[in-house]
This record gives sequence, structure tokens and C-alpha cells, in this order.
Amino acid sequence: MAVTPPPLRTVDTGAGFRHPLYQVMLETPGLTVGTAALDDLLSWGLTKAMWIFPMATSCCGIEFMATAASRVDIDRMGVIVRATPRQADVMVVAGTITTKMAPRVLKLWEQMPEPKWCIAMGSCAISGDFYRNLYSVVPGIDTFLPVDVYVPGCPPNPEALMHGMMRLQEKIQRQRKGENVVPELNPDLLKITQPSVPRLNEATRSPTQTLEQERASENPTLDEETDPLVVPPSEPAPGLAPLVGADFQALLIELGVAELPKDGPPVIPAAQHLELARRLKGLGYRQLVTIAASHWPAGKGRKGADAAEVEHHEIAYALRTVGPGSRLASWAVKVPVAEPVLTLAGVFAGADWQEREQFDLVGVRFAGHPDLRRIMQTENATTHPLRREFPADAHLAPWR
Amino acid sequence: MNEFLQGGLYGGGIIVAIMSSLLFVLWTERKMAARMQSRIGPTFTDPLGFLQAPADVLKLLQKEDIIPEKADRALFNNAPLLGATVAIAGAAVVPFSATIVGADLEVGVLYLLAVGALGVLPVFAAGWGSNNKFALLGAMRAIAQSVSYEVPLVLAALVPVILAGSMKLSDIVAYQSSHHWLVVWPFFLGIPAFGLFMLAMLAESNRIPFDIPEAESELVAGITTEYTGMKFGLFYMAEYLHTVIASAVASALFLGGYDGPIAPGLWWMVLKTGLLVVAIYWLRWSLLRFRSDQLMALCWRWLVPSGVVLVVGAAVWVVFAG
Amino acid sequence: MTQLTVTAQKRPNPYLSIDSLDPESELMLLHFGPQHPSTHGVFRMDLYLDGEIIVKAVPHCGYLHRAVEKLCEKLSYVQLTPIVDKNDYVAPMTNEQAIVMACEAMLKLEVPRRARWMRALFAELQRIASHLLAIGTFCLDLGGALGGGSTAFIYCFRERELILDLFEDVTGARFHYNTHTIGGNRHDLPAGWGAKVKAVLDVIEARMPEYAALTIENRIFQQRTKNVGVLDGELALELGVTGPNLRASGIDHDLRRDAPFHAYDEVKVNVAVATGGDCYARSIVRVAEVKESLRLCRAFLDGMPEGPINSGKPTKLTVQTKIPAGQVYVGIETPRGELGTWLITDGTQNAYRLKIRPPSLHALSALPYILPGYTVSDAVAILGSLDPIMGEVDR
Repeated sequence: MAVTPPPLRTVDTGAGFRHPLYQVMLETPGLTVGTAALDDLLSWGLTKAMWIFPMATSCCGIEFMATAASRVDIDRMGVIVRATPRQADVMVVAGTITTKMAPRVLKLWEQMPEPKWCIAMGSCAISGDFYRNLYSVVPGIDTFLPVDVYVPGCPPNPEALMHGMMRLQEKIQRQRKGENVVPELNPDLLKITQPSVPRLNEATRSPTQTLEQERASENPTLDEETDPLVVPPSEPAPGLAPLVGADFQALLIELGVAELPKDGPPVIPAAQHLELARRLKGLGYRQLVTIAASHWPAGKGRKGADAAEVEHHEIAYALRTVGPGSRLASWAVKVPVAEPVLTLAGVFAGADWQEREQFDLVGVRFAGHPDLRRIMQTENATTHPLRREFPADAHLAPWR
Repeated sequence: MNEFLQGGLYGGGIIVAIMSSLLFVLWTERKMAARMQSRIGPTFTDPLGFLQAPADVLKLLQKEDIIPEKADRALFNNAPLLGATVAIAGAAVVPFSATIVGADLEVGVLYLLAVGALGVLPVFAAGWGSNNKFALLGAMRAIAQSVSYEVPLVLAALVPVILAGSMKLSDIVAYQSSHHWLVVWPFFLGIPAFGLFMLAMLAESNRIPFDIPEAESELVAGITTEYTGMKFGLFYMAEYLHTVIASAVASALFLGGYDGPIAPGLWWMVLKTGLLVVAIYWLRWSLLRFRSDQLMALCWRWLVPSGVVLVVGAAVWVVFAG
Repeated sequence: MTQLTVTAQKRPNPYLSIDSLDPESELMLLHFGPQHPSTHGVFRMDLYLDGEIIVKAVPHCGYLHRAVEKLCEKLSYVQLTPIVDKNDYVAPMTNEQAIVMACEAMLKLEVPRRARWMRALFAELQRIASHLLAIGTFCLDLGGALGGGSTAFIYCFRERELILDLFEDVTGARFHYNTHTIGGNRHDLPAGWGAKVKAVLDVIEARMPEYAALTIENRIFQQRTKNVGVLDGELALELGVTGPNLRASGIDHDLRRDAPFHAYDEVKVNVAVATGGDCYARSIVRVAEVKESLRLCRAFLDGMPEGPINSGKPTKLTVQTKIPAGQVYVGIETPRGELGTWLITDGTQNAYRLKIRPPSLHALSALPYILPGYTVSDAVAILGSLDPIMGEVDR
């Protein structure tokens, strides 16, 4: 999986400036031999005891741990993993760096003592991978850190990281000898300029499409294999059918919801939803499963295009009974975007974080919530990215 | 040859010898730990990774020396030096053989305890001077631990003193070679006192496996969080120095020191010390870390009372059986 | 200063402002993370400390918020599996299954029996691998990287590598497998794979006593974990804590048995439940689940039916596939608890909204309740015992 990087190249820098003292030193017998030997010794020390500061954020961090474990055993190279940046020589950025994390990464990098090096491990650290155009991800750490070695892969094998460390050793040794080592190129450099999200619904050709793909999409006769599956939408989705137990149905009838909708959880009037949650909790639905809010622009509703719909949020709730034969109860609340929803945090403590997340990402306001702060984005963020109008292919990321 | 010159020569020789033994200790530890974890350990520094410790030192020497802006510079800069000095100071009174001893003090055991008590100073200076919260938490733990473990350490060290009737380490060794090693007879006093001494000696100076102030999974790197380069290297070295010297002292007090058949005394001393060092690292790489308050509870609830019992037992033994 | 009335037994109120707890502002604020060796990724806790005792804990997540849900809205359904692989990067198999099952439920695809058994087998193998990592990193938290903890950690990783090799044989990847498709599986089991699995299971089973001696039977381990981080069962339910963390609090609930999916309705699943609710209970539940998974793996291997591994449709499923408008919630039991997928479709090729219910986020939301009253060392143990994976917490 690891792509073999281009070999290090050396460039003759030609005759440069020579200090007179340099000439004297050259002519002193034994001095050059001594200093050269000393310098070799020092660079030997540098390369054989590279202590790593693991900036391990995600999947690559697990492979980094596997590198330290017994199969690959990076300790063979004399590598010790130090938790404090002050005692590390190499920062291995293993994983996706988000815009919220990037300032911290930079700060930690600045706290490392010179001489120091940086390894970008995995495609997220190299280019942001398929998250690169999204609002929260930095498209490659070389936008703010000087990267010495790129280790591509998703995630790279432990062996690939070991190879990356050995490339770094070679680089250090050659740099110490005075050779001009051409910096490694970002292997994903060409990809960074392309959108990570394929534009399915756009008529124009996607830059990532190959010629064959383009021809295939233009020629309908080739489309036989891609006959889309269509299921008649009249029946209820099977995933929801067993969710409604008899007790829950009785409650719903009591609340005036006579018929279950076929296309989603029953919609409850916003005023009654807290009462419903309390009653359900009394009925044994004691576990909070999830809260999922969605944003529907004007003219669009569950049934598709519907001119009668105003811009609204639909917040779906799910509770569960515990023990054998577990049943799920789910309902939804529909409110115009400007209006808040009553919080569930008083009934289920876990609703706190769930509602914070929906507030942060979708923009639903929860009335009476004890602590309605942003949870995923930074505190000073202004957008709600899961709203429909927010572009996924955002070129507004601050790191580009 | 006057005494001053002799002391200097012996002292210098001992320091050089112990420092160079560190290379071997470091290598042994890393290789041993690796084998325990079904790894190989350092191999890139030939032969067999033996030059790993020199490589580490060479690297540390080349690193930038960072002093945090708001650190207490005097404390911050002097703590590593003090740490290494205090760690090696105990070696002065240890008799490595009948003749090799830096200063055979009349109050050798007292000196050892005093030097051991000093060990908390550099730790606290580093923790306080770094102006780092993790380091401060580490220093807080270190002081509580050092003060507590001082008591069982003194009690355990009193047992050989009472039995041998002298505070001079060479006298204690001579007593053991003329009678029995203390762990052999009276073993019911010697073995517990030996264990207690080792535990307390390591815990008192916050060394492995009781390095709670440096708990890197909790406090990042504890007191050494802000230290770079060779300043950290000195702490690192002090840790290993202390392990070696604690082992040497324990083998002098309880294992008969340089006493042994056939081979010359120095070899026996090295062998005993080496085995103790290996045992300490074995423990280190197989045990989890105590919590600070649990370690303290262990001290006051179990170690101090058993220390008192041991001292009383030793006195009774001397009066009635010795 | 004023006497602080914080006890571990009473459910603390996490919404009390720090000024009311500490009117003379004598507490120390310790930022624990986002980069810390024991936060299991990037996670931050603001700990208000009285000495070493935690008075108030404010967790902050989102440092790995990769906007997966937004990305999934823009991708076609067949493109989702490699994306969600990266959410819970310690158990990618179960991530794929959750998303694929949601699409299958919407399309009403019948998954062949062999595919369901294969999925169950993969899920169980993944559970072993994931729990091994959880136990290993937990020991790393307790013992430190330069001590006994790392020994236990490396033993666990050694066995985990064996399972990754098995997956590599099937899918060609160590993790991020992308082996599930809508309607079945992509890769069939290679010839002779069953024998390899059995050999690996035997190795792990034979070494289980070794891990037990290093962890749950070790006295220091017990001292460090017993009565630490007690999570009350009722609170756990309210918070939506699931999986081993819930079962350690005495709640007998496991979706494998209670709402069977895959092939779990065809075998008997024994659910491990402990009553302590502390870190120790969470550890012994995990160890017991590894043992149970070893048994289940053998059962699934022995009973593996012959037949097709997908419904025949996946060859036709392409980026053009449309799913009719509707909503579905599918929850499955992953190593960390109930991983749910709330899929809202609008009849186009893209999901309208995809909400992933991550078990780790709910587990972490217990922190403000259980941390106060314990020390910093305990905080590390508590966080490690909850076994959060930041990839799925922040998504």
C-alpha cells in the first residue's frame, strides 16, 4: 500500500562563500578529519535515538500503536515514545487534523526543541483525504507545518511508518553532510486541488472522472447494469415497523395520532412531546437512544416537494426498553426554523449532549436546555453545517 | 598519600565506574523489557543495540535548551544537576570491596539516610520551578511520598545497625561475613527488613517502580514535563543511578556486601547489585502503577508498623540471642 | 477555603457553576488534553482540582469532528461504507454493517443466510480485536508507557495482529475493510480460512489466563479499579450508555440477544453482566465478552452455511442507485455498544440526512457525573475504562 517515494536527489550547490577562517581550518592538519568524525558521530546520535511525539488523532494512531507493538517494534530503531513535546525529536502526525485541533498542533510543534522533524502519516495528514473540502478539516498538515517525510496510506501499514522513519534517518544524515536534499513532495499534491466529493447531481464533468466514466455517463446504452433499484414507496419502511409496540401505539392514540405515518416516525405536537417522553419513561422506555434533527427548506417535506411546507426542523427522538425483546419508540417533532423545541434534558440526562450536537450542527434551538453550547465546532463558530444550504464542497475553509 | 588525595581518587574512580556501568544497565533494561514483551529491543546501534545509551546521550546533548518564560530559572536550571548529584552521593560510603570505599564514615547509614532525604529537593525544585501544572501535581505527589517513606526507610535501616552494632557500612559487612548474611540468619528479621528497605528506598526517592510523580500516563511526564535535552537526560540518568546505588546499599546492608567465596569481593558486590537491579526492572515491567494515596496508605498502614516490629524484634534478638 | 461537599456516591449536578462550588477561586484548573497520552485520541477535559481531587469536570469534544454526516449527504449509498469505516476505527466491520443494514432495510433487500453468518462472524472477531485493544490501552493508562502497563498492552496488541491478519486474508486490508455491500458481502471466505481462524482462536483462548493474571486478577489492578468511577445503572440508561459500560452497571441488555440481527437469532448469546458499575466491572465484562466471542466465533464457523454471499443485487447497485423516500433507524451491538444509523432519504441517489448514533459519545457524556470526587489518576482510569473512540464521538 505504501507508495515508494522518489529517491532523494542531491544537487551540487557550486562554489559558495568561503570565510578566511575556513581556509585556515582546512589547512590545519588533522582538524578536518577530527571535526568530520565528530560531526558524523553527532549525526549518528541524532538518527539512532529519535524520540517520537505522537500526534495521534485517529485511525493512523492505532497503526502507530501497532508500530510500537511487538510485530514491528519501532524500539529497534531506538525510538521511545515521549508524551511531552519537550523531549521529542520527531512529531508523527497520525490522523486527521481538524480546524479545531490545528492551532493546538502548531502550538505543540512550537514547543518541541530544535532540531526537530515532522512526519505526516496517512492520507488525512498529507492531504485531508476525502474530508479535505469539508468545513472542519485541514487539507494536509503541510499547510501549517514543515513536513519532512510523507508516509502515504489509509492508514499506512506499520512497516510503512518504519520505512518512513528510515527515510528520515537517511535525510538527516545527508543533510548533516551538507548535501542539499530536495524536500519530499506531497504525494497527494495534485489531488488536493480536486474536490473530494464527487458531484453526482451536476451535469458538468467532474474533474475526478476518467474518460471511460465520462463516456459511460453520456451513453445511456451502457447504463443497463446501473438500473437503479426502485421499491414502491407505499409500504412503511421495514426498519420502523417493529419499533412501535402496542403500549406506544396506545399512547399515540391518546395523544391524537390515530394513524401511523408510512414514511417515518409519528409527528407529535411540540407542546405534548415532553409529556410523551415522561409517559414513555414510565412505561419502561428507560434508555435514551438518539436524537436526530434534520433541516427541511421551504417547499420540501417528507413526501418530497410540497409547496405547503415552510422551512422547518424535524427532530426525531428514539427511546428503548431494556432486556429481551427490546422495543424502540420513536417520534418526531416538527417546528418552523425560528421556533425552539422544549428540551428533553430534564427527563433524560443524556439528551444534553445530543441536543447540543443538534444545535451545533443543524441549528435547532432547545428551550430550557441547561447548557446549550456548541459541542463539535469551536465555540465561536457561526454556521450550522448540516443545514441544507451549507455547501459540503466548501472552499471557505480557513486553512486554504 | 594523604587521605584527601585518596578520597578523591577513590571517589573519582567510583563515579566513573558507576557512570560507565549505567550504559550496561540501560542496555540490559531495554533488552530485558523487550524480551518480556516479545519484542527485540534496540538493534540498529551495533553491536546488539549496545550503543543505544551513548546514542541517546549524544542526541540529548544536541537538543535545544528551552527554559519556559515564566519558570523560576534558578530552581529550574539547578534541579537536574542537584538530582544527579544527590543520586550519586550515596555511593560515597558504599564499600564495594574491603578496600574500595570512597569514605568509610563512622555514621555511614546516617549519611545514606540524609542523602536519601535530600532526594526530594530536586524533584520539588523541578516541579515548582517549571511553572507547569502537571509538574506541580507531580511535585505535590513526590513530597507526600518522600516524607512518608522516610519513616519505614529509617526503621528498616536500623535493623542491620542494631544487629551489627555499628553505623559503619564496612562494619556491617564485616559482621555479616563473620556471622551470617542478614537475609540468611536471622532470616525472620533480615528478609522482611531487606524487602522493606528496598521498597522504601525506591519509593522515598520516587524511583521506579514507584515513579508516581512522573506517571506519564497521567501527568504527561510529571516533574520533567518542561525539561529538554540534557537537563532531562540528567533526570533520566539520576533515575538509573539511584536504582544502581540503592541496590548496592541494600546488598551491603543485607546480602553480605562483598562477602562471598572463591571470587574477589568486588565481583560479589557487582553480582549482587546486578541481580537486584534486574529484579527491580523485572518488577517495573510487570506491575501496574499504584495510585498516590494507595501508596501512602500502604506506607502508614503496613510498612511503618511492620518496621517498628522489626526494630523491636532486632533489639530483642540482640539482647537475648545475639 | 469552604468545605467542598462532593461525594462519589451522590449524583453530582454537572450544571453548577464553578463560582458556586469555589467562591474564593482557590481551585486549580487543569486542561487535560486535547493532546494527552491517556485521552485516547483528541479529547479535552477541564478539571477543577482541589489538590488532586476533581471538583468539577467539563468535557470538550469535537477535536476530531470530520463532518462525516455532511459528507455522507453528498455521496451515493454504495460510497458510504469506506467513509463510515473511519468512524469507529477500532471496529470498522461493525460500522459498515450498521450503515449497510440501514440501506438494506430501506430497499427491503433480503440478505442471504451465508452473508448474515459471515457478518456475525466478522462482528465477533472484530469484538475480540476491539476488546483486546480496549484492555491493552486501559492497562497502558493504569501502568504507563514505561512500565507494566505497556507489557499488557503489547501482549494484547500481539493477539490483535493475528485477527487483523485474518481480516487481511479476506478483504486485503488490515483495517478499513470495505467488505460489506448493500445486500451482502463483497469478499467470500478464502479456502482454508476457517482452519486459520480456529488456530488463532485457540491461541487467544490459551493466552486468556495470561491476560487475566496481568489485569483483572492482579491486585494492583483491582485496587486501582474497584470502586472507581461508579456509574449508576439508572443514570447510564438515561444517558444512553450502552454496551459493556451499561452491562457493567447491572443492566442486562445486549442487542445481540434482545433485538437480534445478523445470525444472532440462530445461536444462543450469553450476556455478561456485572453489578459494580466501576472500572473493574467494566473490565471484567470485557474479558468475559472476549471469552463469549471466542465461543460464538467457533459456533459461527462450524455452522457457516453454503450459498451466495449477496442478494445478486449488488452487481447492479451503483452510484446511480436511488432509495425511496423514508426514514429508518437501525441499531446494532458493536464492541462499544449500540451503534445506530438514522437514515432519512428523499428518493434521490444521496441520503437526505444520515445521523450516526455513536455509543462512545453517550459513554463520554457520563464523565461530568462520575468524575467529581475522584483523583486525576482515577480520571485516567475512568476515561480508559469507558473505552471511547474519538472518531465516532466527533465523527
